[in-house]
Amino acid sequence: MNLLRLSLRTLRREWRLPELRTLAGSLVLAVAALGVVATLSTRVERGVLASAAELIGGDIGVSSPQRLPDDLATRATHDGLKVNRSASFPSVAFAHGRSQLLDVLATDTAYPLRGTLELRDAHGHTQTGHGPAAGNVYLDHRALVALQLQVGDMLQLGGRELHIAAELVRQPDGGQLIALAPRAVMSLTDAEQAGLLGIGSRARHRLLLAGAPAAVHDWRDWAQSTTLPQGAQLITPEQTRQRMRSAFDRASAFLRLTALLSALLAGVAIALAAQQYARRKTSEVALLRALGTPRRRVFGLLIGTLLALAVPALIVGVALALGLAQAAWLFASTLFAGVPTVLPWGPALAAAGIGLAVLAGFALPPLARLAEVSPVAVFRDSVTRRVRRFDGLYLVPVLVALALIWSQSGSARLAGILAISLSGVAVAAALLAWGLLWLARRVAPGAHPALRLGLAALARRRGLSVIQATALGMGLTALLVLAIIAPSMLDGWRSELPSNTPNWFVLNLQTNQRDDFSKALARLGADQLNMLPLAVGKLVAIDGHPIDGLHFNDPRAKDWSDRQLRLSWAGTLPPANRVIAGHWFTPHPAQAEVSVDTMWRDMFALKLGDTLSFDVGEGRLDARVTSFRQVDWSSFRVNFFLLLDPAHASALPHTWLASFHLPRGHATQVATLSRAYPNLSLVDVDDLLDRIHQIVDRVSGAVRWVLAFSLLAGALVLAAALSASAAERRHEAALLRTLGARRGQLRIAAACEFALLGLIAGLTATAGAAGAGWWLGRQVFHIEHYVPPLGSLALSALIAAVVVMLLGLAGTRKVTRTSPMRLLREG
Amino acid sequence: MSGTPRFLLDVRDVSKSVQGPEGRLDILDGVSLQVATGESFAIVGASGSGKTTLLGLLAGLDTPSAGSIRLDGHALENMDEEARADLRRQLVGFVFQSFHLLPALSAEENVMLPLELEGDRLARTRAREALASVGLEARRRHYPAQLSGGEQQRVAIARAFVHGPRVLFADEPTGNLDQRTGHHIIDLLFALNRDHHTTLVLVTHDAQLAERCVRRVELEEGRLRAHSGEADA
Ligand SMILES: Nc1ncnc2c1ncn2[C@@H]1O[C@H](COP(=O)(O)OP(=O)(O)O)[C@@H](O)[C@H]1O
Ligand SMILES: [Mg+2]
Repeated sequence: MNLLRLSLRTLRREWRLPELRTLAGSLVLAVAALGVVATLSTRVERGVLASAAELIGGDIGVSSPQRLPDDLATRATHDGLKVNRSASFPSVAFAHGRSQLLDVLATDTAYPLRGTLELRDAHGHTQTGHGPAAGNVYLDHRALVALQLQVGDMLQLGGRELHIAAELVRQPDGGQLIALAPRAVMSLTDAEQAGLLGIGSRARHRLLLAGAPAAVHDWRDWAQSTTLPQGAQLITPEQTRQRMRSAFDRASAFLRLTALLSALLAGVAIALAAQQYARRKTSEVALLRALGTPRRRVFGLLIGTLLALAVPALIVGVALALGLAQAAWLFASTLFAGVPTVLPWGPALAAAGIGLAVLAGFALPPLARLAEVSPVAVFRDSVTRRVRRFDGLYLVPVLVALALIWSQSGSARLAGILAISLSGVAVAAALLAWGLLWLARRVAPGAHPALRLGLAALARRRGLSVIQATALGMGLTALLVLAIIAPSMLDGWRSELPSNTPNWFVLNLQTNQRDDFSKALARLGADQLNMLPLAVGKLVAIDGHPIDGLHFNDPRAKDWSDRQLRLSWAGTLPPANRVIAGHWFTPHPAQAEVSVDTMWRDMFALKLGDTLSFDVGEGRLDARVTSFRQVDWSSFRVNFFLLLDPAHASALPHTWLASFHLPRGHATQVATLSRAYPNLSLVDVDDLLDRIHQIVDRVSGAVRWVLAFSLLAGALVLAAALSASAAERRHEAALLRTLGARRGQLRIAAACEFALLGLIAGLTATAGAAGAGWWLGRQVFHIEHYVPPLGSLALSALIAAVVVMLLGLAGTRKVTRTSPMRLLREG
Repeated sequence: MSGTPRFLLDVRDVSKSVQGPEGRLDILDGVSLQVATGESFAIVGASGSGKTTLLGLLAGLDTPSAGSIRLDGHALENMDEEARADLRRQLVGFVFQSFHLLPALSAEENVMLPLELEGDRLARTRAREALASVGLEARRRHYPAQLSGGEQQRVAIARAFVHGPRVLFADEPTGNLDQRTGHHIIDLLFALNRDHHTTLVLVTHDAQLAERCVRRVELEEGRLRAHSGEADA
């Protein structure tokens, strides 16, 4: 307790020291930045999840080919969750002698629990609604056109006469991949009474739930621990759609990256400030030690003082984080209309914890060394500061940084990339700084006196300059990654959805229909037509061992081996595919060959040369694995896990899968086409694309918000780092003034010094950010052909030099005004 | 000003007062003195008597509240900071009680500083010569922390002399040193004073040391008490 009082007294005395203020400021800033980012991230994540929930129509659900047991719903009601039961199935509707296969959703009136069901009434007014009452049905535009019906008419479905109450404009679709046919929504009661859901029907039953996150979470845990009926699957927002999911993954990766780099920036500033503090305290500690204070007590006092400083700083940081997050949310919340807006406290408090860890990790080494100052230092000030080779304590910040990187990035690979690129930047910055300083020393003798003084000063302060350039380089790398790489990656990501992305899919096209169908499409103005053969089969054996007898560690393997697989073939490697092992098919292989996607390779633990046996129709095909492919599933192309070589596969019974692009507003013509080819399933992806665009917009908008905040934080931390080193220049300036240096000389010298420092940092950061960006774009975010914007990076290196120069000048303004009398007074 | 002024330093009725927390504080009151070129001049007095303040005024680091100070004929009280800085650079060298070497610079680099301010291209060579003249050529690459107090002060003296100043101000140059080392330092100062024909203004509270100067004044609570030595000279 005595120690605490002493610490508080020390702090009261030292509170005005610039480095302690810098330290407190960095901590406030670190916690605020981390907190804002984490709080916003959490909200954005919830927003993204809620968007997914809107697509599904609930927070979570189960779907099953059989009727779902009642306890699933009972449990949910008990947990306070809202419940929606539904089933979907294909069914043929009749009206005026016409018939059309419809994709029917039969639901209770609770539908939808999340998102909106948009309906258009007979007068063309659009409004939101719920599942239809018994006796009513909603049809989408394609269905109405195909059956030549209007809202208000009657139609026959499942043997019942139903009243078309509204046109279906948009609906949350329960996480179902693609609606194959025109859609209808009817009452679950009607469907049950009509016997559409009985045994032998093709209905897929669904239970959707919504409610408080905690209750959803509880139910989810419970559901995962119970055995669901055979073939039943959980529907979660995370796994809703490949595209959706990758959008979410990328968004959260960006957000984590942002938070992480802010924390590391703060760590750099804290390390600089602590170093400065330790340097200043050396003589005092030497005195204390000389007066007989035990080392442990000195250390305790230092830690106590630091904690006394840290606690209020942490509180201020958390308050600031929450305030800023709330303010930012008020602006950004328009992006997530309809998402619950509770301010989460957890992330800001966790940020305070991380802030404390950063403080401990980065401030500890200099302070621990400080406590070790020998009492002899009283007699020869600063003798112990220098001449120390390696200090194991400097591993502490490295370890803290690694732990942070690992905990924040969540993925070992991302952590590895970040750690390697950051330390690469550190080493590169140090080497480059060293080299440029050496160069400056050579250049100095011929330069203008003031310039030379600045260069010489910088060149001579080697150690410090190298450390500073390295720290600035790291900070700038972080800033560049955030400010330039991330947005440009977002653009790269968005541009992956070109406007002429195929927006229609056609299933079940027969070989003899291909030509006519192509011509019909061309008449409609469709382009980008692409046809792929499609055979359906089952994997029956691997290397001759029947699949049912094999055991796989990956639980998905069993699921896939039960399923009908989609097989295709191609003579050339399709776009968005990359062979990562083995070789692509040779024109006429002796034996059938198959190229396998990496997920499948991992699932079934396949090796090159393994033989896969498929049952296709009546026949059987044994194909040798000759290559593994990395497939970009987020590209909007039709992709296959398994591709066969055309020489052997083209004999298999198959249909064609076509995709094409057709400008919007052709629903009527497509309906006509659909009637002309009754066997075809025409799938409209426009709607899906619309929603994905919308989600991408939301996510990138929100990420930009987070970026703006950490950018600000990064800039402030950078300024703090500069000011931490400024204190020791004061003495130098006073001396130079005494020796007759003009103020202008000091300013130009400082300008040169900081500009060079900024340039060194800027150049290294440019290289580092470009490298990290290139790597991240390729390895983590899977953006094909991503090239970091080198022009903007180089420009920002120059801007960095100017900004660092201005910051340096601002930081040394007071210094150049130091009265030379100070020096006489100091001793 | 034409020709060489009779006195390198001509101080007339100088007062210095500062605004302290408890009102006005007179540190110096009506100080007048003259120092001839090439002379060695001691300012003695008890601690707190105003010696450092006076030295700061003489060297143009600060301006008097009243009175006039001419340094080599330039009226310091009429010059702004920058002009005084120019004057210091050309005319003045300093030796401080606590050396004030820059810890990040080697001995040689510390000595180079005044030359660099003038843009001297031969800074390194001349700094090396200056270090040699204080007997530290071998230590030129060493940093202040690696030097003893006496060695640090010798480096400081080399720095003070390296650009050939007309006057050298020393504020308690032996204050941080043991007696023997202090004597060496003083010997060195006087030797350089002689060889370079530099005027030496020495502040000390050590009467014995002051005795070695040609002239002495004693400060007592901001006033000159007695001139001594003038008669002896
Ligand atoms: N800027 C100042 N503000 C207040 N008091 C000062 C200031 N400068 C000097 N003094 C006071 O003036 C007196 C003389 O100081 P100084 O010239 O340092 O004396 P000496 O060098 O002889 O020990 C001291 O009492 C000192 O405290
Ligand atoms: Mg004094």
